Amino acid sequence: MKWKNVVRLVIVDVKSGRLIRGQTLRRYRESRVLQYLLYGGACVLGLAIGLAVGSFYNGMPDSELKSLIYRGAYYLFPSLPTIILISSMVFTMMVQIQRAGVRFSIQPPYWLPITWEEHTLASTLAHLVGVPLVSIILVGSAIAAFSIFLGELPLATFTIFALLASAFLASTTTEILRVLQVRLTGAVYKASGKAAVWVRFIGSLLFLIVFYVVWFAFTSGAGFVTLIEVVAGGQEAVWFIPYLWLGLSLASCMSGLLAQTIIFSLASVLFILALFYMAVRLNARFGLYEPPAITVSRGVYAPKVGLLGKLGFSSLEAAVIRKDFKAFTRRRELMYIFIMPLVFILMPLMQQLGALGEPAATEPSRFLFAWILLGPGAIMAVMLGTMIIGEEGGAVWHFFSSPITARSLVKCKYAFIVIFSCMVTIVCGIIGLIISCPSLDIAIALLIESVLLILALAAVSLGAGIRGADFTEVPRPRMVRPLTALVTMLSCLTLAVAIFSPLLLHAVMMGYIPIPVSLPEIDLSAAVSISAIIAAVIAFVFYRTAIKNAQKFLTKAEI
Amino acid sequence: MGSNVGYAVELKGVAKRYADIVAVDYVDLHVKHGEIFGLLGPNASGKSTTLKMILGLVKPDSGSVKVLGINTKEDSVAVKRQVGYVPETPRLYEFLTGLEYLDFVGDIYAVEPSEKKMRIEEHLEALDLEGREGDMISSYSQGMKQKIALISAFLHKPKLLILDEPLSGLDPKSARIVKDLLRKLTAQGVTAIMSTHILEIAQAMCDRIAIMYEGRLLALGNMKELRQKARMPGSDLEEIFLKLTGTGDIRKVVEALLK
Repeated sequence: MKWKNVVRLVIVDVKSGRLIRGQTLRRYRESRVLQYLLYGGACVLGLAIGLAVGSFYNGMPDSELKSLIYRGAYYLFPSLPTIILISSMVFTMMVQIQRAGVRFSIQPPYWLPITWEEHTLASTLAHLVGVPLVSIILVGSAIAAFSIFLGELPLATFTIFALLASAFLASTTTEILRVLQVRLTGAVYKASGKAAVWVRFIGSLLFLIVFYVVWFAFTSGAGFVTLIEVVAGGQEAVWFIPYLWLGLSLASCMSGLLAQTIIFSLASVLFILALFYMAVRLNARFGLYEPPAITVSRGVYAPKVGLLGKLGFSSLEAAVIRKDFKAFTRRRELMYIFIMPLVFILMPLMQQLGALGEPAATEPSRFLFAWILLGPGAIMAVMLGTMIIGEEGGAVWHFFSSPITARSLVKCKYAFIVIFSCMVTIVCGIIGLIISCPSLDIAIALLIESVLLILALAAVSLGAGIRGADFTEVPRPRMVRPLTALVTMLSCLTLAVAIFSPLLLHAVMMGYIPIPVSLPEIDLSAAVSISAIIAAVIAFVFYRTAIKNAQKFLTKAEI
Repeated sequence: MGSNVGYAVELKGVAKRYADIVAVDYVDLHVKHGEIFGLLGPNASGKSTTLKMILGLVKPDSGSVKVLGINTKEDSVAVKRQVGYVPETPRLYEFLTGLEYLDFVGDIYAVEPSEKKMRIEEHLEALDLEGREGDMISSYSQGMKQKIALISAFLHKPKLLILDEPLSGLDPKSARIVKDLLRKLTAQGVTAIMSTHILEIAQAMCDRIAIMYEGRLLALGNMKELRQKARMPGSDLEEIFLKLTGTGDIRKVVEALLK
């Protein structure tokens, strides 16, 4: 193995990662001061925390409390490798999700004189650069500084090594999962035939749901404390799981069990090596694997007339709507639009069920239904609106070269946003109805309100999306300029509050939201009617703006 | 205005600049109905910009472009209805199958469903895409994508074809089919403007050829007229092209590379 090759590959991987996140590299050789500043800062901060805690510990007059803290720290040390392992795994998986949208996947440069060992090691190490490494440096330096006061510097050194090994173990596991996922999805697509498109869509949604459930469970304050308690108390009971051996070797060391320490340490090293060579073998076998073609249709071709034609859309408009439906259910890089609706449902749901380490709610929250019904659809409308033109990418030449007018373009794109967002609202509404069982009048009022928000915000965001479209596709589709996206989000938030204000007033009047001042009374139906008028005005004005923007867009097509 | 009025394409004093770069420098050009017109030139000579201006994708800074008697500035949608376009590197919707893509294009140009079905099936069979039409385009080779792009340009029976490197990536059989198809279409009155770097193809296929260099029109005519202009009787298009564009002396470059 040539270490220089590994280092070069890691640098390439890190640079490509930064490009994927949208950063611009201006020079071939860049100053690394800023990069190292982050790690240096984490080290300084960790040392400061360790020293502060240590000084506080030293200055404590109460010896009983002191011994309690000593025991607590002692209790924490063996669980740290497992916690770093889990957090590194989550972060490295997140990087993989982020890269799912990259148009040109990062292929190993197989035509260069680089071995699979070098490639796998570089890929594994590159996963760790960034948040995982920063968190290890932060925790490691804090432990090192604090251990001086505890008189446990050798133990702290051992812990730091265990942390690094844990992170490497997590990254190797992610590398294995990545390769297996490519091979497995290929096999699934091949086996599922025509259903492959839906298998991929539903599979991606399920993956996102599981990932975010785990993410919220670990990152919420109470959930993290629970995790430490579980790991610290329970890892000895499941000693046969190799991923826990690093923590167990630390625990054995602290208990003075030398033989057990050596056995678990050696077993950990062997396990890491075995995993690494497994990753190498898998990369060598499937690293250049091309998933099979997805066959969507077979048999005799019959042009469809479709429902859209009957609804008054021209063949051109219906074709664009159908194409967009397929884009948002088939393009992997567009599936992240489903993250926000999922988060909107999962967060309160987990809170309700007590999955975030907090006690489960005894009765459904009064605002849960409103939250689930209004949030996802409205956010979906805003997100779709801002990206619906930019998502065309290089294929936008179809619009420039085809006989599409500005009115038609806005009509079909607007219709798609509204239909798609309403579908999301219906699904979320059903979930909300099951969970929180609201009264009929509230349910109807909120459903109308949700549609009003979608109609208005879709027009606002579409107008902005046409104006701020970004067709850059490499290395990742940008779709919309960041400033446009930010301004649109803020504008939509303001307008949503304006549309929803009559209903807020009603909620205050009914005492759902207690405020110290008295406000004029407003009936529910009157509140919804006023809301509808505000939404209609906003939708009308911004729809006209969208048409004007589309006219400019189609006549200034410099591709 | 009908398609039989005057020329199929008429460029009068057309110029286009991008910041300090002159892409097209006051070009006058006429393309007759039913001819295959070749637009040649080295990289960055202004060919693609000229083609885009003909299609109405790029607005000229000055001058006028008339396509089938319609001013592109006044009614570019009417022009686009009658034009079939294949860009240099066509980015297709890769999440669609070949069949879905052609169906989409047919609907964009409002082709009647029965005619659309017939034409799609005929073209898929002719270009050996049968059996793969239900697969997503993302799994197609470059040549297959080019075939799909070509079919989509022919699908609505356009009166003008604008083809940028149309035979790029095609296998010999498909290239021959496309060439024969173009000849038959032009015999029926369809006009084709093609840009290519493969000079043998241009020489064999085009009725007239225009050579562009640094945004200007260096030469225009059939092979005989081009030979006269270059004062190179009996020469082929490659020799004429290299002489006219001043890129003829390549020996020194090759020798330097071999050192």
